[in-house]
Amino acid sequence: MVNVTFNGVTKRYDDGFEAVQGLNLEVNDGEFLVLLGPSGCGKSTTLRMLAGLEDVTKGEIAIGGARVNDLPPGARGIGMVFQSYALYPHMSIADNLAFGLRMAKGEDKPTEDDIRWRVGETADMLGLTSELEKRPKQLSGGQRQRVALGRALIKRPKVLLMDEPLSNLDAELRHQMRARIRSLHDELGMTTVYVTHDQIEAMTLADRIAVLDGGVLQQHGAPMDVYRNPANDFVRGFLCAHLDEMVATANGLFGGDEE
Amino acid sequence: MAGRRGLRDGLLLSAGATVLLSVWAHMVGPDLWVDRWFTLWSVAPAGLVMWNLSTPVVAHWSTGRLSTAGAEVGLARNGQLRRRVDGFLRHVALVHACALVVLPLLWILDVALSPGNALGGGYLDAVTGEHFQKMLTSESFWIWTRNSVIVSVGTTLLGLALAIPAGYAFSRFKFRGRDPAMFAFLLVQMFPGVIILVPYFLVMKALGLLNTSFGLILAYSVTALPLCVWMLKGFFDTVPRELEEAALMDGCSQTQVFWKIVLPLSLPAVAVTALFSFLAAWNEFLLALTFNTSESMYTLPVGLASLISSTGQAWGDFAAASLLVSLPVVVLFIVFQRFLIEGLSAGGVKG
Repeated sequence: MVNVTFNGVTKRYDDGFEAVQGLNLEVNDGEFLVLLGPSGCGKSTTLRMLAGLEDVTKGEIAIGGARVNDLPPGARGIGMVFQSYALYPHMSIADNLAFGLRMAKGEDKPTEDDIRWRVGETADMLGLTSELEKRPKQLSGGQRQRVALGRALIKRPKVLLMDEPLSNLDAELRHQMRARIRSLHDELGMTTVYVTHDQIEAMTLADRIAVLDGGVLQQHGAPMDVYRNPANDFVRGFLCAHLDEMVATANGLFGGDEE
Repeated sequence: MAGRRGLRDGLLLSAGATVLLSVWAHMVGPDLWVDRWFTLWSVAPAGLVMWNLSTPVVAHWSTGRLSTAGAEVGLARNGQLRRRVDGFLRHVALVHACALVVLPLLWILDVALSPGNALGGGYLDAVTGEHFQKMLTSESFWIWTRNSVIVSVGTTLLGLALAIPAGYAFSRFKFRGRDPAMFAFLLVQMFPGVIILVPYFLVMKALGLLNTSFGLILAYSVTALPLCVWMLKGFFDTVPRELEEAALMDGCSQTQVFWKIVLPLSLPAVAVTALFSFLAAWNEFLLALTFNTSESMYTLPVGLASLISSTGQAWGDFAAASLLVSLPVVVLFIVFQRFLIEGLSAGGVKG
């Protein structure tokens, strides 16, 4: 069971600004959770605290029932996809993928043969086999995105974190990658936390969504439940009204054919 | 209309006088290349003025057959020439800038290759390798070279060992006194070296580091440090933080992040900084002259200067040695050229 629990988690910066206030949230084993909210709502901070890139001011974060507040990022069994991909520019794609495995310590440390096999397997899964010798600079945006995904997945993480991974792609590619991310999740079955400000991404990807605003959790539930029963005005405005508007726009464009 | 006519004729006359005067001065004066250059500079602009003033448009304007506005319209056609003239003048200016750089080099080459120790004479009248031979076989030249190499390499290594961690810390960590410290670095940079010369001398004397290579290494590293730290900090700033975070997620410690990600990405900047420290130490004169007074501890610049003394001006040897001393610098620049361009156009890390 790899569930993730936020227990009264607060993040306060040195200047007194509270990015996240008393967050209580549970992500079930194998669940796809989307953190949704406008920019500055604390969703990225939440993700970064879970990753270990930000200290937790107050409260407790647990992965699989074990408190991880004081574990370094590399020891939490987490893979993360960054918005800018953050591929290592001075390494080949193969080395980018293998870097995390090479950094593993103690009995987890795989042999070089093992690493080569797993790089091949991951590249195969993401359609990167012919790019392994290239540098990140030589790849297209979509390919870089897949490398970033592969680098997070190759360690077989218990929890996969994604921070607006599709925001740098064009619309067509974004659509393809969205489907791919969901199918990878279903295939590999790891717990996934996904941050976005895009309502459509949230509705199509999530098992459950958590809507945040001003560092406070507004609503937590299955996408259609949240849409049908918004808990407050913010959710109604940010999610429901926005989706209705898009539906109205689409109907306005194609309405003539239907009526 | 007499005023216009007078103006035109006066200008024409003075331009013509300038041309005549220059040519006359050239004929009676000495015929060095400097004089030819000077003549060209007075004849060419004056000639241009005459050519411009003798156009029909100006002639008609001066006799009153053309209004001022009309003349301006007529002359506007010269605007078509304007771009070519501009381009020509730009090249003239650039050629002069180049000459400023190249001529001293040609001169010192001449002195180094001419027999005897004269500074004047015709260009490369007689060519000899005697000065080079004398320097390359002189024992003291090699002792100075050894001292210079020790001091410069030592300065580079010590300087980098201090500047890299400092630059990284200033770039990435927030700590008490960070901004004042950065400013203090700049402040030190603003003082001319002469001001710290005497205090430095006293410190070196107290430490017993006069006439040692280590004394100079220490002094050079410290004086080069502010600029090195600022340069490296500037480059580290351009390494995206997300890269470091990705490495943390991949299981690196903070130290490993630095060694495996940040430093390899910053190699161009490190190379530039290293080159800078090396050159600063290689060329430095004042501190070396003051601290290391025994001849066996001279660095090359001090040694070269000692060739020109009240007892004998060995200009030929001096010129030959100067060229030999510049050689490593030239080689270093050629080797590091790629890094220099990359390092100076920092920020090309992304993607």
